[in-house]
Amino acid sequence: MTQKSKSRSTKKPTNQRKAKTSRRWLSLFIKLSIVAVVLLAGVLVYLDAVVQEKFSGKRWTVPAKVYARPLELFAGQKLNKQDFLTELSALGYRNESSASSSGSVAVNGNTVDLHTRGFQFYEGAEPAQALRVRFSGNSIASLAQSNGRALAVARLEPLLVGGLYPAHQEDRILIRLDQTPDLLAQALIAVEDRDFYTHHGVSPKSIVRALWVNTSSGSLLQGGSTLTQQLVKNFFLTNERTLTRKATEALMSVLLELHYSKQDILEAYLNEVFLGQDGQRAVHGFGLASQYFFSQPLSELKLHQVALLVGMVKGPSYYNPRRQPERALERRNLVIDLLAEQGTVDEEHAAQAKQRPLGITKRGSLANSTYPAFMDLVKRQLREDYRDQDLTEEGLSIFTSFDPILQRKAEDMLEQTYKQLAGRKGIDEVEAAMVVSNPESGEVLALLGSRLPRYAGFNRALDAVRPIGSLVKPAVYLAALEQPSQYTLTHYIEDASFSVKSRSGKVWTPQNYDRKEHGTVFLYQGLAQSYNLSTAKLGLEMGVPHVLKTVRKLGVERDWPAYPSMLLGAGGLTPIEVADMYQTIANGGFNTPLRAIRSVLNAQGEPLGRYPYTIEQRFDAGAIYLTQEAMRRVMTEGTGRSVYNRVPSSVVLAGKTGTSNDLRDSWFAGFGQDLLAVVWMGRDDNGKTPLTGASGALQVWANFMQQAAPSSLNMTPPSNVIMVWVDAYSGLGSAEDCPGAVQMPYIRGSEPLPGESCNTPIALPEPVESVKSWIRGWLN
Amino acid sequence: MSKHAVILIALAALLTGCSGAQHRSIPVVDSGGPLTPGAMRDSRARQSGAQQQVQQTQAAAREQVATSDVQVYAVPSAPIGGIETYSPSATTEVPAIPVASMPIGNQARLTADEQLSGPVLALLTTAKQQQTGGDFNGAASSLERAQRIAPREPQVLYRLAEVRLAQGNPGQAEQLAQRGLSYSNGQPALQAGLWELIARARAQQGNTAGAEEAQRRARVNL
Repeated sequence: MTQKSKSRSTKKPTNQRKAKTSRRWLSLFIKLSIVAVVLLAGVLVYLDAVVQEKFSGKRWTVPAKVYARPLELFAGQKLNKQDFLTELSALGYRNESSASSSGSVAVNGNTVDLHTRGFQFYEGAEPAQALRVRFSGNSIASLAQSNGRALAVARLEPLLVGGLYPAHQEDRILIRLDQTPDLLAQALIAVEDRDFYTHHGVSPKSIVRALWVNTSSGSLLQGGSTLTQQLVKNFFLTNERTLTRKATEALMSVLLELHYSKQDILEAYLNEVFLGQDGQRAVHGFGLASQYFFSQPLSELKLHQVALLVGMVKGPSYYNPRRQPERALERRNLVIDLLAEQGTVDEEHAAQAKQRPLGITKRGSLANSTYPAFMDLVKRQLREDYRDQDLTEEGLSIFTSFDPILQRKAEDMLEQTYKQLAGRKGIDEVEAAMVVSNPESGEVLALLGSRLPRYAGFNRALDAVRPIGSLVKPAVYLAALEQPSQYTLTHYIEDASFSVKSRSGKVWTPQNYDRKEHGTVFLYQGLAQSYNLSTAKLGLEMGVPHVLKTVRKLGVERDWPAYPSMLLGAGGLTPIEVADMYQTIANGGFNTPLRAIRSVLNAQGEPLGRYPYTIEQRFDAGAIYLTQEAMRRVMTEGTGRSVYNRVPSSVVLAGKTGTSNDLRDSWFAGFGQDLLAVVWMGRDDNGKTPLTGASGALQVWANFMQQAAPSSLNMTPPSNVIMVWVDAYSGLGSAEDCPGAVQMPYIRGSEPLPGESCNTPIALPEPVESVKSWIRGWLN
Repeated sequence: MSKHAVILIALAALLTGCSGAQHRSIPVVDSGGPLTPGAMRDSRARQSGAQQQVQQTQAAAREQVATSDVQVYAVPSAPIGGIETYSPSATTEVPAIPVASMPIGNQARLTADEQLSGPVLALLTTAKQQQTGGDFNGAASSLERAQRIAPREPQVLYRLAEVRLAQGNPGQAEQLAQRGLSYSNGQPALQAGLWELIARARAQQGNTAGAEEAQRRARVNL
């Protein structure tokens, strides 16, 4: 009762309270709405700032691109037609019946017509032009413009051989909309966002369409995202699939459309879109995708190629043409059909395009290879002058001396030599490294850091410090030949056993490889036959510190202790250090620091940096000439003889074998006029190998030189060197018409006195007819 | 209520004010330019730059968007129009009569060997133009290109030495001239020129005696 009365008594106030409550609710609602509006406005302001900030600033960071040397074309250039065509193919030139547009080539016997693309180099712009190159033998016979006028020199675009990106980096080649084929935008819009030019960032029409398709089929077949939304998603947002993200995406899309033109958005899309994964590198944008899949600039792509790339947008890994060629082909043809349906291309054109193969470059071909060892060298040289961030973000162009054709030959010949060596015990554990350079320019042309050329780990060419064995000997002989009053090539040296005691009381007793003594030999023979006893004796005569000074003058920057064993190569060097050392001998005594980079352009194509050719004369030309002569004899009569099983004997080469103690390292270093190569073979654990310098490294070297065809070493004597007839047996002066007379070079003033006459009896064993038979006699 | 309305209006005004300003000023950032440490990628620098230029008009901002598009670089392999570094009619074609590009005045002394033609001549001509235009790096680069084509051509080394000297590197100039000498047997005029260049390089390095010696040898060779 009381309760009732109570309730009754509260009836009126209840109504009042109700009104009050609703007012309170309304007030709360308004407050909340205000908060919501404020929040939404805040979000909008924030998103707007984000959109504009990122879109108007630097949109992408672009890793530096590393280019091979451009192939120079001029009459007389040493280049065979096959290598030329290989390079053109790697550059994505299309074989056509006539070379009418840029990036096309027509071959007709020895005549190759091509239309180059032009390129911005450090020295200036190379124009795109139509050329006719005529080959004869292994060189270019003539170069002309397509109108028949002779042309002095032209060069191709350089091959892109790599980029400098940190791990998990996006890579792209930025393009402008006006550089893309019209077909690309048309196809992209047709496939991904038909209403692109009419919507305002989001397209309710396509959302409804997508909803309809998805609900009626029961699965997520179609996305309703516009190109703008896709761009926003990739550009600003993460990949999560939540409503909040969807809403943010829609808002940002509208904001983006508000501020930027359709052209801007389309261009950004073309550069942003993800189109494939290459190891740790993500391939973004159509510019790079075109290079990555076809090795061609985007502007050259034809319908079937454009359709493939556009089709891949939907699922770059699902439609990966390298992994899923059938799927990719089906998708490509679907895109072509769609374009034909819409009338963008005519039926005939479409039918033809559908008949074309995918046309993507093969993995492992010249166009699609990695060169980890050389790229490592480039990176190291660049890091001395540029910050990592500049290299990975500023879109620099790095021009190197890398020669992809020589690299390919080095790789192939290393592999072939391993096949030839198969069966030797433990050969599988033997690693290898190789440095190829041009001694006249000091440029590194090719580099192998492992027996597996694609291996990107330990770079033995740059980092494996191994005893160089007999490779040090040319320094010993050069040190001697620098003193012509005391030493000549025909100076007698003793090859006999001896021991020396060091100050610490250790006794050093060198031995020859064949454990024999060879008695009195000519100085040059000590080097040619790689005799340890005579070499060590010669070195000790001059003093170890003196020889080590010569080693340093050759370019080796190491402080080896002056132990006698250093005379026989106990000191360790990396293959590239050996190349530097031998380069000084190959280049007339002028030292050139080895370079891999020529120049650097910034993203705008403006010169940024250059690595100039620098030289320093370290030795007298005459002493170097005599050393080269002794090293030439290594190849004709000494430990390097077997090279001429592969290389024509007319090619003059100079070199030196090297074998460290217990066959732990097999080395060969040698050169012609325009090519120097150093090969090392050995085990990473420094174990014994089944190889000497001659049976291992030299075989790789010889196989490589056979393919690379170096020019003969130019043996024109310098002005202080004269050629003198001497008796091959005694080394005494002789005359041209005397039996057994041979010509030897001497530094003027150090030559032997002319012999009295041929018949002068010489108090030595029976006369010989030729140098060779004499040597044989001497050895026995 | 009216209190709320006032707050609402005030807030709205504030917001539209802010967003209005934002709308009209796309942050203007110099995104191209030289590699200066950090500046390009430093977002704080970018923001402060944006704040400073908040007053820019929409038109100016659009313009900036257009210029910032310059950072959309050319496809490397695509043809790039631009400065031609040599004129085809003058240099790239093989001249009917080989033109000597000898540095030394008396060209009548040149033997056939000293006359250049073909690619080397074309590149030396290009280099000369670059040098004349004050582009020493470009000239040196073109000469190195010539040197790769004809590594034992002493005239290329002479010209390279000359450019190095002009670049203020007399040490390298002397070395390159020495290398040139090693390839110029039987070319007395060129030898004299190289010695003369060595004399200048030595003088610049303060080696007066060496310069005189080189000068003397230059005369002997002539």
